[in-house]
Amino acid sequence: MSKKKQDYILLDHTADLGIKVRGKTLENLFENAAKAMIELTVRGKSEGKIHSRKIVLSGQDLADLMVQWLGEILYLFEGEKLVATSAKIDKLSPSMLEASVEAVPFDPEFHVIINEIKAVTYHQSKVLKKGDHYESTIIFDL
Amino acid sequence: MDIKLEKVDDYCWRIPKTGSMRVPGIIFSDESLNKDLQRDESLVQVANVATLPGIVKYSLAMPDIHWGYGFPIGGVAAFDMEEGIVSPGGVGYDINCGCRLMTTSLEADQIKPMMKEIISALFKNIPTGVGSRGAVSLSKADEAAVATEGAAWVVKKGFGRKEDLERIEDHGTMEGADPGVLSERAIQRGLDQLGTLGSGNHFLEVQVVDQIYDEHLAREFNLSQGRVTILIHSGSRGFGHQICDDFLKLMAREVSAQGFDLPDRQLACAYLKSELGRRYLAAMACAANYAWANRQILMHLAETTLLSTLSLSPSELGMQLLYDVCHNIAKKEHHEIDGRQVMLCVHRKGATRSLPPGHPKVPEVYRHAGQPVLIPGDMGTHSYVLAGTEGALQKSFGSSCHGAGRVLSRHQAVKKAKGRAINRELEDKGIFVQSRGKRTLKEEIPEAYKDVSRVVEVVHKAGLARKVARLSPLGVIKG
Repeated sequence: MSKKKQDYILLDHTADLGIKVRGKTLENLFENAAKAMIELTVRGKSEGKIHSRKIVLSGQDLADLMVQWLGEILYLFEGEKLVATSAKIDKLSPSMLEASVEAVPFDPEFHVIINEIKAVTYHQSKVLKKGDHYESTIIFDL
Repeated sequence: MDIKLEKVDDYCWRIPKTGSMRVPGIIFSDESLNKDLQRDESLVQVANVATLPGIVKYSLAMPDIHWGYGFPIGGVAAFDMEEGIVSPGGVGYDINCGCRLMTTSLEADQIKPMMKEIISALFKNIPTGVGSRGAVSLSKADEAAVATEGAAWVVKKGFGRKEDLERIEDHGTMEGADPGVLSERAIQRGLDQLGTLGSGNHFLEVQVVDQIYDEHLAREFNLSQGRVTILIHSGSRGFGHQICDDFLKLMAREVSAQGFDLPDRQLACAYLKSELGRRYLAAMACAANYAWANRQILMHLAETTLLSTLSLSPSELGMQLLYDVCHNIAKKEHHEIDGRQVMLCVHRKGATRSLPPGHPKVPEVYRHAGQPVLIPGDMGTHSYVLAGTEGALQKSFGSSCHGAGRVLSRHQAVKKAKGRAINRELEDKGIFVQSRGKRTLKEEIPEAYKDVSRVVEVVHKAGLARKVARLSPLGVIKG
């Protein structure tokens, strides 16, 4: 384990990259996870046109929803070249998630790519309540 | 979980069948490489794969085994076509990530003074790094043709030569591809990434043949001491990542309905005879074909760059494809089980096929030598060319290792490289490197990997392939 960065820490995984995220509420946990993944992918700000997206997912449990949720944010970047600037959870239960995401087009003049994350894996994915907060472990394939 | 290894011989170790394992685990390794194995969870992953339905004989790991997600990297497992499963995690996100080696007529001494210029020209002409746009922009119809025909389609479009195709695993076209099963997202991501190298551990390297172990086989492979070779390591890019992701999600949803438990959701799978299993194999074949087409274009770009930078004619450069192999794939293959030829689905996740002389799947031109097995080292160390053996067919479903295998996480590697000028360190060794980001270089420092020579030695001694030649880097481009 290493460097503390706001609401998440990086985990050492031999081939890939993992994070352990915390949040006061479940909604907060999911939002922090998205923020952490964006930080690990790209840095910098641009003033480009804001694109708004509604994300609706159904899942088997919270860990499944977490993997799918981060997968959606990753697809925005990889598939549509949009960098998420805000990710807000509107509704969350163990079987569904609704969220609102705002994103700006990737602009190489302002954005610097940090890691190419190929995918959000299910490997060791967890969402747990730890005392007064929630915690999640996610491993990315680089 | 603490996993005990039982020694079978100096280069082979067993994980006994316990708990819900259906077969034992077999690791090709030696005492010194075993020390790294105890540091992470790769052995648990070998045991986890052994619990999957329809697994045949054993869950295998090659000497470059390291901790993956679901399957270990360096894992090989074969499944019965009736009772068995196919697992997207057992192939990996980068479907048909693989290696391609080209020989040339150039002597290393001839080009050494121009290495900086050569690397800079390759870096300029070959799209590298995250988000780079490909050398070829595809329409959706073109993309479907690439997904179905693979390298053959791009050869028709003028990238490389028809005779290259016989020197590619499966001739660069995997049967059974059906673009009709792909998601809109996969199609979208494939449109602009054909002809890109990618980032992370993907690279293009200019090398010199610096040691020959088997004169006869080296001649068969057109490898001679002092000659320049080019090695490409790349895969199916975002197209393959999306296909893996799509099917993992679908299979994770259906696992509970299939009546067996998984020790790790990343091992999500479907029965080979199920509709979902068949659809995954059809989609995976599309990505395999995309990757072969990608490496075919990258080879062409390397050739045209060298021709113009060195002002040579094609015959003076003499670039020839030696071979192209997959590292991440699931394939239907015939293997002998208890004296009978049986069709199995062999998963190779970070492993290379290794077929002996005389095998019908070995290209005619190498029929007497055996299939070339290409093992890239890490940045700044040697790569190896080996030849497939009968031993591999008997012990590992015709498989060998695929590289050195990481021992440090990317984060640990960056920490270790802090304050060091990796470019300069490599230049001092006579290796010119150009990469998109400094971080990539730090993540890929030689200390982050196992000693590739040790890994190759175990492969050779275990009889999984025979050493033919060693290649030493002169220059590298990375994403």
